[in-house]
This record gives sequence, structure tokens and C-alpha cells, in this order.
Amino acid sequence: MTDDPKAFFALDLGTATTSAALVGRVAGRWRLLGALSLPAGVGLDSLLATIVARFATVDPELADDLGIEATAEAATAWPRLTARSTAPTTLAVIAATERGLEPLVRAAERTGWRVRPAAAERLDPLAMTSILLDHEVTAVLLGASTPPSGDERGSLGELAALVAAAAFRRPELTILLAGGMVEQAPRFEATGERVSGVLRAPAATAGSPPGAPLRELLHRARAGRDESRLSFSRGIAALADALDRKVEGIELGIDGAVRVHATPRHGDVEGTVHAATLATAGLVPLEPDEATVDRVLGWSTVRLDRHRMRDRLRDLRLMPWGDTAGDGAPFRLAAARAAVARLVAGTPEISALPPPDLLVVSGGAWAVAPGPAVALAVSDVVRRAAACQLAWDHARLVAPIGTIEDEAERVAVVADLADDLLLPLGSVVMPQGMRPGRAGGRLVVHGPATAAELELVPGGLELVDLPPGERAVAEFQFKDPVRLGTRGRHFAVEVAGGLGGLLVDLRDVPLRLPDRPDRRRELLSAWQHALWAGMDG
Amino acid sequence: MSETMVQRPPDAERRASPNAPGARIPPGLDLIPHRTLVEHTVDAWLPLRPGDRARVSPGDAVTLGAPLAERLRLPKIVEVPARFGGRPGERWARTVASGASSNRRDPHPAGELLFESNGRWRIVAAEHHDIIESPLAGIVREVRPGIGLSIRAAGAALGGVLALGDPTHGRLEIATDADGELRPRSLDVGSAGAILVVGARIDAEALTRARAMGIRGIIVATLPGKDRRDFLASEGRQRAGLHRLPPFGVVVLHGSQRRPIASAAMGLLQRLAGKEVAILGGPPSVVFDPAGVVLEPDPPGTVHVRSGPLAGRTGRWAGLAGPRRFPGGLHLEAGFVRFGDEWPVPIPLADLERLV
Repeated sequence: MTDDPKAFFALDLGTATTSAALVGRVAGRWRLLGALSLPAGVGLDSLLATIVARFATVDPELADDLGIEATAEAATAWPRLTARSTAPTTLAVIAATERGLEPLVRAAERTGWRVRPAAAERLDPLAMTSILLDHEVTAVLLGASTPPSGDERGSLGELAALVAAAAFRRPELTILLAGGMVEQAPRFEATGERVSGVLRAPAATAGSPPGAPLRELLHRARAGRDESRLSFSRGIAALADALDRKVEGIELGIDGAVRVHATPRHGDVEGTVHAATLATAGLVPLEPDEATVDRVLGWSTVRLDRHRMRDRLRDLRLMPWGDTAGDGAPFRLAAARAAVARLVAGTPEISALPPPDLLVVSGGAWAVAPGPAVALAVSDVVRRAAACQLAWDHARLVAPIGTIEDEAERVAVVADLADDLLLPLGSVVMPQGMRPGRAGGRLVVHGPATAAELELVPGGLELVDLPPGERAVAEFQFKDPVRLGTRGRHFAVEVAGGLGGLLVDLRDVPLRLPDRPDRRRELLSAWQHALWAGMDG
Repeated sequence: MSETMVQRPPDAERRASPNAPGARIPPGLDLIPHRTLVEHTVDAWLPLRPGDRARVSPGDAVTLGAPLAERLRLPKIVEVPARFGGRPGERWARTVASGASSNRRDPHPAGELLFESNGRWRIVAAEHHDIIESPLAGIVREVRPGIGLSIRAAGAALGGVLALGDPTHGRLEIATDADGELRPRSLDVGSAGAILVVGARIDAEALTRARAMGIRGIIVATLPGKDRRDFLASEGRQRAGLHRLPPFGVVVLHGSQRRPIASAAMGLLQRLAGKEVAILGGPPSVVFDPAGVVLEPDPPGTVHVRSGPLAGRTGRWAGLAGPRRFPGGLHLEAGFVRFGDEWPVPIPLADLERLV
């Protein structure tokens, strides 16, 4: 950032959504002054000018103090923090055996690449060459274990020769040699004038946790520093430090999703960051397969046959913002639930970490739904026996802030903006192990302006009105021991309010829905109606 | 949808004559995404597979129907000793490599070098090949053996979202109106050699029948996934047969769920009726010669509805409506759009587009 600006724009330029936020220095700290998200393809300068003009209309005095003039020319001159989504590109992952391929694919899939795996023991050289010469493939990860296992050793030379020949024909291909394949590097150095380099990578099982060094290299090979999913991870880490809390972030876009778990720094002890970017967890895959259609149908409250659902998903991919009104928004949330479920299923190592204190959702997929409905959608698929606060990065600020180079400055900006950048959706308390068919216990909520008492019915979803900004203590007295962080009967949990209030989620962990489609739709619809004001209007 | 809600426009807007030439365009139009209706620079990409032999070179001028490449049928890997040098992607011929005279019974007298390992070259070859013809006139820009070739088209293109089948060309005929649907029994053998514009949708049976009748291509607004899958299965069976039909291609302009061809695209297609056009797969588009075709830009302030209940209609921008509540309890950024002389209606900005 430039020295001492009074205001700046934070831009998150996604594949489907262009988001801009105006941030200004008010009373010695950064504040969010306005934000707008529209479909990608809008004139960015017009978008910025609209934000500025709205702010200047609403608060002309502050605008004057900040030297903000509501003209497009003035707006375009201000500093900008820009994070950009890059559309996933395709990585061919090649190994001699299926056994050797599996860890390579596992590492590659968590770094945002679209992966095309191929094992020499399954594919003939012609099919393998066809994959490598496909112009959609932009990089090749060729790997073997270290040292090469007996079943790999015999075919390493031939496999390397095949890939080197393809690399000769496509000098623009980035080649990554991993583990035992590094020995084959001389074959690639003799393959003419390469535009992209040949990178030597550690084995897929090397490092702690296994695969981490390879993933780091694959991340760097895919995207630049301002890539929005990488900067979102840094932004979440800064948020964890600024709030001194364990924070999980889920950013869902049309072409991919990222899940981040960050713990704060304590004194000299560094905080931890675990992140995974999955191209397969985008809102709609390039070509929705049967499993994707099934999953979205499983969350849909609208009765659709498989063919129509697939058509709708394809059109959603073509026009992510189109046809939103009416049943378009619940349909998007059904697709978002299925996508987040794919993300959670694809990142078991993050699910195994201690539950976060705060879960932040971000991305264009949430932009068309009311906050409480977003809270429910997230609670439906991210299920942990714990209490957690939910918040929405409504102005898409986390990723642009993550592009700030200096870590201390990043944390300072986040600390200033934390109250503005997070829209509180509410708190979710999700006990596990309640016995169905009998009374579950009692809940008493004590707050400065809120007092509630209710019976706990296993399988239900109870809502307690707790407005944003209000804190309360929820005292649970279960009849039988349950898991809620730890195992016990009596719990006192501090909860924070939000647009959805306090959600006491007594449903199964993981969630089990009726097999009969009509019964399932009825149940999902009932839950959704409770949190989606004016849904029928 | 909110288009049924009567919204009172600002007084100044009501007093203004909205369709008068030179009328002021209210601000906010730039917040609508824009798209190019007609691309004037088109680089057609025709993929090649390992072993396919290009018959053109960069810089060559190609005409409609000129042979571009030989496509191998049922390619196989053949191993030969690496005595003759060579580099991956180069052509190989047994007579050249061995110095021996051609053996008439040799099923693989020539091929393409794939890779060399342990003193032997792997070569891809086949007994038969098909000719890939140029679907358009233009200049060859790039030839990459085994990968593809690129041609800078001598024409302009109307973009689509999906193309199926082969690149092809033919005379454009309008078979239905923009919201129509072509049934299999409506196809006429008199359309053989033509590319038909068939309105809102078409089913797989009509597509396969059209191909069998010698129709060269279909331009349609939407193609449901089931019909797409069925057509591709039929296409796969046809490709496997030894007797090949002429190339047949389909361009889908808008998506999968039924909707009419957008008025701007339909207007252009109507002006192209009777002219020779080409269907391309990469990028999915209809390529035409713009000479003699009036390509009038939209009048200033024109917006097109691309999704929602009014999809396909064209109106005039009447100003930003700000965040508005729409059915489903949603608050979306919206703009006023005037259709003809009707009152302006608010439509989500995301359902609108400008064509430039």
C-alpha cells in the first residue's frame, strides 16, 4: 500500500463476481465505508464510482473529511488492494503405477489444480501422449517414490522418455519431477528450448505433514501472490492473530473452493495455518456428473428430475448470477451445500483439527442469499460437535487484505476492520450423541437483553433470537451425556448474536436426512423457511 | 418475478421521451456486464491427435473445403529401431528410414515419431485415415503436430456456448422463429446441405435425423443435457462406422434450459439467411462473411435480458433502481428497463447484458 492513504479500494476480482469495497481512515482506524458485488464483466471504474457516490450521498461530511469526491476520475486514482481468482488450469499427474499415483494426486488435488491422472500400468503410451499434448494441460507432475519401488523401477526410464518427448513438442509445459523421478531430469534438459522450467520437487510423501513441501511447490507453480485463494488463506491467518481465536475460513467460488484453519500466534509460538484449495469443490463442476447431480438434488427443496437438475447446473455455470430471483437463490444454496460438502469431504485433515471458535464464509456463492439462510446452509454441511460463531465476509475483504505483503501491517488492518468485515451470522451449538425419541434436556440463555428457556428435542433445530452485537451465556443441561467439545451433561457456552441468532442444532452429527425425496424436501424446506424471511413473497 | 410489479419511474424519466434519438441515457449503464455479439477476429482451433498429419503450413491461405489434415482411424503404436535419428512429432516413413523399397503388404508404411527409449522409437500409425476439411476460408497461423492447428478466419463470428459434432459449413436457413422448436417430422430433405436455425430447442431424434438427411448443421438456443448425451452417443456410433456421412455440427447459443434465441442474435441470423456460414467447435461459433451484412450496433442505452422470465427481450435502459426486493425474499441490485412504450420495470442487473 502507498504511504498514509486516507482511503483505498479492496478488490476481489473473481471468475464470476467482481467485488469492490471502499475502506477509509476514520478516527485513526480503518473502516469499511461501502461495498458492492456484481457479476464479472461490469465496468470496474463505474462500480467504484457507484460505491463512492453512494457513500458521499449518505455521509457527505465524512466524505468531505476524507477528501472523497464523488467522481469517477477521482475514484480511479486511489490505491487498490487487488486479489484475483485464476481459473484452474489442468495438471497431468503421471506415475508408473496406480500405487505411486495416489499420493501425487492427493497432493495435487489440494492445490487448486484440475487433475488428470494417468498411470503407465493402466494407459498405453498413445493415450498418455494424447493427455500430455492436450492444449488444456499446462503442467505435468511426473513422480515416483523415493527410492523408486520395485514395480516402478522398470518403467521409469520409458515413462520419462515419453514425457520428455511431449515436453519437447510443448516447450510451454511446466514440468515438475517429484521424488525418484528427479533422477530423470537430464532427459528434460536435452529437450530443446523450454519456455517453462523443469522443477525438482520432493516426493509426495515427504515432509510433515506428508506432502506439504510438494503442495507448497504446486501452489506456487499454479498461481501468483495476488491469487485470491492464497491471499484468502493469509487473510484468515491475520484474522486469527488479530482476534486471538482459532478461525476457519471457507471461500466458495464458481471454479474452486478453499478451506483454511488458522490458530493465532502466542508470544514466540507461531500460529499454524492449514489450507487446501480444491478445484473440484467449486459451485458447479465443469461437467456435472451423476454424483454431483445426486448431491445437489439431495439438498434441493425444489422438485426436479435428474435431467432438469443437470441442465440447471450447467446454466448456473454459464450464468452464475443469472435467474436468481424466485427459486434461483434456494437452488444456488443447494448447489453451495453440495460444493461445501465436497470441500469438507476432500479435506479430512482440516476436519480432524480442533474445532474453530469462528467460521468465516466468503465467496460469490453466498452473495444472493440472506444471512440466516447462509448460516443454516453452512451448519448443514460443516458439522462438528462443538460451539462455533459464524460470520460472513460480506464485503469480500479478507482476500484483498491477504495481499498485503507485510504481515504486521496485514494484522493491523484486519484488527481495525474486524468488526466491519465480518457480518455476524450467529452462533451454532451442535451437540453430538443425543438419543432420539426422548426429551433431551433444557437450555437457558442469559444475556443483557435476551432471556430464553427451552426444551431440547433431539433431531430439531431451535432458534433463539440473539441480535448481532449481543453476547449471552447458553446453559445446557442434557439428560444424557453428549459431546460438545468434551463429553458431559452440563455446559455453559458463551455465544454471540447474529442475523440468524443462536442456532441450537440438535440434529445428527453428521446430518442424516430421510431417504424418501418428498420427506427430505419437506424437512429441508421447513428448516430453511424458519431462517429465510419472505421466501415465499 | 418483479417485472409484473408496476414501478413508478422518477418524474424526469416519465416526462422524457425515452425512445427519442439523442435522448439522455441515465447513469448506471456501465454496471451491466457487456458482451461482444460479433467477433471480428476469429482464430479457429482444430485439434489434432498424435499421428494426425497436417497438410497445411503456417501462412498458407486455405479456402472453404480445402484439406487441412489427415486424421488417423484406429491409430496404433509401432516400434522400430532408432537408427535414423529424428525428433518427437516428426514424420517417419519406412522407405526413408530403412532405405528398403516399399512393401505393399506393410500396413504401417508411415507414421509419427512419439518417443524413443532403449534404442527403439515408438511410432503412431494407422492403416486408414480421413480428411479434415477446412470449414472456413482464412490463413493458417499455427500448426502443431499432434496438438492442433489454428486458422485466422476471413470473417466474423457469432459466439455460442457449446458446439457438438464436426466443424462444418453450409447455406443458412431459418427453420423456425426465435422461440420455435423443430420436430423430427418437420425436417425437409430440401434442406440438405444447409445449416438450420431451429429456435429455442431441438431434441436428439431431430438432430440425428437432420444429419442422416444431409443437413450440415444446426443453430439452436438451448440443448437439454439428455438430448446432448443421446446425440453424442449417436455421433460416436456414426464415427465408428466405415461409411462416413458429411460433417455435421451443432452450435448452442445460450445454454441447456429452454429459452428463445436472443433478439439481437436472431436479428443477425435473419440477415445471414441464404448466405454461406460455418460452424466451429473451438471457439463455439457461427462464422460468416460480414461483407454485405449490415452489422448495426445497438442504439445507445439498449440492454438485453439474458436470464429470468423476460430472457430474450431487448429494452432501453431507464436508470439504476438500487437494491430492490425480488421474489424469494432477495435484495438485488436492479435497474429500470423500458420495453417499447410500457412503464419501466425493475430487473436485477445480473439478468441484463449489453452487446457491444
